[in-house]
Order: sequence, then structure tokens, then C-alpha cells
Amino acid sequence: MTNIVTTAPTVTRSPPPRHALALAAAIGAIAIGALIAATIQSNLMMTLLTQAIITSILATGVGFLIRQNGVVSFGHAAFYGIACYAIALAMKLGAMRVEFAIMLALVLPTALAFLLGLVIVRIPGVAFSMLTLAVGQAFYEFAMKARQVTGGEDGFSVNLPSTIFGIPTAVFQDPHSMFVVSWSVLVLIVFGLALTAASPFGRLTVAIRENEERARYIGYETTLPRVLVLTLSAFVTAVAGVLFTLYNTFVSPDVLHWSLSGSALIMAIIGGPRLIWGPALGAIIFFFAKDIAGDFTEHWQGIIGVILIVVMLVLPVGLGGALAKLWQRRPGHG
Amino acid sequence: MAESYAIDGCKLTRSFGGFFALKGVDLAVPRGEIRGLIGPNGAGKSTLIDVLSGRAAHWSGTVKMFDADISAMTAQQRRRVGLARSFQRTNIFPDLTVIDQLELASRAAEAPSIDEIMAELNLTALAFRRAADISYGDQRRLDLALALIGRPKILLLDEPAAGLSIKESLDLAHCLKDLAVRWGVTVLLVEHDMEVVFSICDRITVLHLGTILAEGTPDEIRGIPEVVTAYLGSSV
Repeated sequence: MTNIVTTAPTVTRSPPPRHALALAAAIGAIAIGALIAATIQSNLMMTLLTQAIITSILATGVGFLIRQNGVVSFGHAAFYGIACYAIALAMKLGAMRVEFAIMLALVLPTALAFLLGLVIVRIPGVAFSMLTLAVGQAFYEFAMKARQVTGGEDGFSVNLPSTIFGIPTAVFQDPHSMFVVSWSVLVLIVFGLALTAASPFGRLTVAIRENEERARYIGYETTLPRVLVLTLSAFVTAVAGVLFTLYNTFVSPDVLHWSLSGSALIMAIIGGPRLIWGPALGAIIFFFAKDIAGDFTEHWQGIIGVILIVVMLVLPVGLGGALAKLWQRRPGHG
Repeated sequence: MAESYAIDGCKLTRSFGGFFALKGVDLAVPRGEIRGLIGPNGAGKSTLIDVLSGRAAHWSGTVKMFDADISAMTAQQRRRVGLARSFQRTNIFPDLTVIDQLELASRAAEAPSIDEIMAELNLTALAFRRAADISYGDQRRLDLALALIGRPKILLLDEPAAGLSIKESLDLAHCLKDLAVRWGVTVLLVEHDMEVVFSICDRITVLHLGTILAEGTPDEIRGIPEVVTAYLGSSV
């Protein structure tokens, strides 16, 4: 096999991230969201959907970390809850305008994730999960104990001004309009994360996830990319926290509890964490399963548990992964 | 003036508890040479590659590359100055396509193109396949391609032909020899397949229990009775 190659054939990439097509799909998806809000009259249904979509954003953040870094976090509620409390406390103390409070709510958890990531991303597997759990629970305990500031277990209401970024605050509290806002944010986040995953940075982080040692031996520093994935994941989670606070205008330590991180993880697994949109699908399924099962029994967690076991055994790629496979196998698809 | 070696390991020692995997090994490979490193299991061959490539911890001695001391450099830093390696086990990125991982390697090595290496190692037709889905032989060639991207000055290969058929091994060996000669790459090759070693190496070093037992051309090594008795047997 002694090759004397004078002119190597050029390998032409088909344009992989078809940006224009993806952007058109995102715009179409936002339009569908508006159509759903216009079609469904029931406030109860829209409330459920809006909560599901906000939680979808949280699950998308958790799922992105699994997809790119291959690690599981039990502490994402900390990023979510810190965003919630940042707005709530800023309003309670009258410390700043709500617009600045929202920006602070996005920056604080993101910066925390970056600094924390510099220490913990090198720690593998279960130890990483346990550390995130410990950090998350530390914030929960603080919120429980600092009653003077946080209201402790009782929480407190968030007083928002009449407009936020020039938009009437009522828009963020009406389930129909808030659904459109949350849905649009979710679509933009999924679009942004899909572009990130398809970029050289996204491929590098998958390579590090797959084989960190080899990534080092082809010349890459592997810690910072993993830190940046955790940071981005925390930012997405913080966005969910901001929307939650604007919609519910109430915070309590529940938004910091590990069980919220655990629920987000279950949503990601049900939907399929290898897909950017899988965790969001999982969150919607989770919410509807919880609502339907809750009509029959107070032990709805048991039904969710059964769904989780079935998905993990039968569809290890999640429901989203199964749907994606079916789509790829459709007649006429190469 | 002393000869400048491509890679020069001096008094390399590494121990695990009381067991010395390397005992003050001196190994110098001149520029452009293909050096075979042979010896029985446990002789210290992979440990030596690990020390030279920056993978090993807790070792002593010095490693120089073209007279520059690289002992304190990390694996990434050594790769950036032109010291590449492959691993005993296939070491690729299973979930990425062939082209994706070669592009990543090419970006890190600031190589202008991956087309050449893909053509040289017959990977062009597999460009858009996931690495997990290609054959073992193709994965080994991909592994080699990842190490060769950017034309490194020195290539440390740890059993690149492990698990391949006789024909695949010889094909890979001759492809490697051809590339090393044309690109001026210095190669240190650990390999158990003696046919591969004796057919492409300029010189061979025999390692035994962490020390160098013998060093010479393939013909010289064949003529050393202790080596033949202890390791080669009738294989060459």
C-alpha cells in the first residue's frame, strides 16, 4: 500500500448546519407557538403549558450538559433558584430597576457556574454529580435559614413594576401571552444551542466527552471547553429562572431544591439528552403525565417512575431519539 | 559538534512502588530514523513511550527534542511542538465522523488541509461515517491519521498494528514507512509483530526488564544470540 499521492482528492462537506433552513424552522416554530396560544382558550391548559415550557428551558440546560460534557448535574436548581432570588431580592430591597435585576439574574448563576466549573469539571462521573448536589443544597439550606432576607420556607411575593423593558408586566403573567414569550425563548435557545453543537466548539466538546485523553494528545486543552459548556448550560437554566419569577411572582426555597434538578434530569432522560430538543420534549411529557396521573392518584411520582424505567429499558435514546430515528427511516429518506 | 537527535531521553527512570518499569534508560533517535522498540511484555516499552510523550507522571530523567528540553512540557505542549503519539488501544472519537475528528486535529495542529492525510491513509471514502461504524482496520488507520495530522516531527507509535491481519499490518507498515520518509518524520515504533518491525525499521532497540538489552540494525539484532533466545525465537 505504498501510496504516492500527488493530488489528494478534496472532500467536500455538504453544508452541515444549514443555518438559513434552521432559522426558517425556528421562525416557523415561533409562529406555531403563537397559533397554539390563539387556539387554546382554556386558561388552565395554558397555565400548564406555560409552566411546562419554562421547565423545558431548565431541562434543556441540564440536557445540554449531558450531551456535550457527558456528566449529570444534581445542582442545576441552584442556577435556576439564584436567578429567581436575584430578581426577587432586588425588588424586595428596591436595590435596582427590574431590567438590571433581570440582567443580574442571568449573570450571577452564569458567573458562578464558570468559577465552579474551573474546579469541578475535572472530577469524573458520580463525584461530579455529588459535588453539584452538595453545592445546590448549600444554596437551598442558606435560603431556608436566612429567614430575615429570604422569608425562609414561606418564601415571599415579588413586586414587579408595571412595565419591564417597556412591555406591560401583565404580558408576563397572563398564561396565553407568557406561553408565547416562553415558547419563543425556548425555540431561540434550542436554535442557539443547535448552532453551538454543530460548531467546531461543539464538536470539540463532544470529542472531549468521548475521549478526553486523545483530545489532549491532538493538542487541545480540555478543561476550559468543559467549563464553558457548564457555563452555557447554567445560563440557559438562569433564563428559565427569570421567566419563572416573572410569571409566578413568588419565590421559595423549592426553586433551589435538588428535587427540581432531579425532575429536570428525568425530563432530559425521557426526552433524550443526545438531542438538543429532547429534554424539552421530555419536560412537556413529564408535565402532562403528572397532570393526568394526578387526577387519578396522589402518587403520581410512581407513574413518572414507571415511565422513566420503561424509557430507559426500551428507548435508551429517549422518546425524542426514537422519533428522530423514525424520521430518518421514513420512506424516500437517504 | 554533537549530533542533534530528534528525540533524546536521558536516564529515564520510572517506578511503581518497588518495581522499576524503566531503570535509567538512555534512548536517542536521530532525525528521520524509524526506530523499533521491542521486548517482552513488561519490558517497559509503553512506559517509555508514555514518558517521552508526557503521559507519565512521577518519572525522572530528561527528554530533549532537537536539543530543546521538553521534560516539563504537558502532552498538549509536546504535541504543539511536533511530538505526536498513538496508543496501544484504538484511541479515536467513536461518536464523531471521520472528517469531524480529522478537522479537529487539523485545527489544533494548524494543518492547512486534511485531504492529503485522508488520501494517504485511504480514509476519503469514509469521511462522513461515524468512527464507531467503520471497521477495526479503518479505525486503526484513523488513529494513525489523527497522530500524523500536521506532519509532526516525531511520531511515537504504540502497537499501531495490534489486532490487524498480517496483510493489514504490512500494508499499514509500508504506508507508514513511505510517509515517514517523504515527510521526514522520525518514528519510534513499539510493535509485537516482528515482521513489521524488521521490514521497516532502520534500527531496533531491545528493552528487557526496564533496561536496554541491545541496539542495532535489524541484521545486527538478528545476530545477537541473547535477543534471539530471550525474545525473537524463530519469528525473524
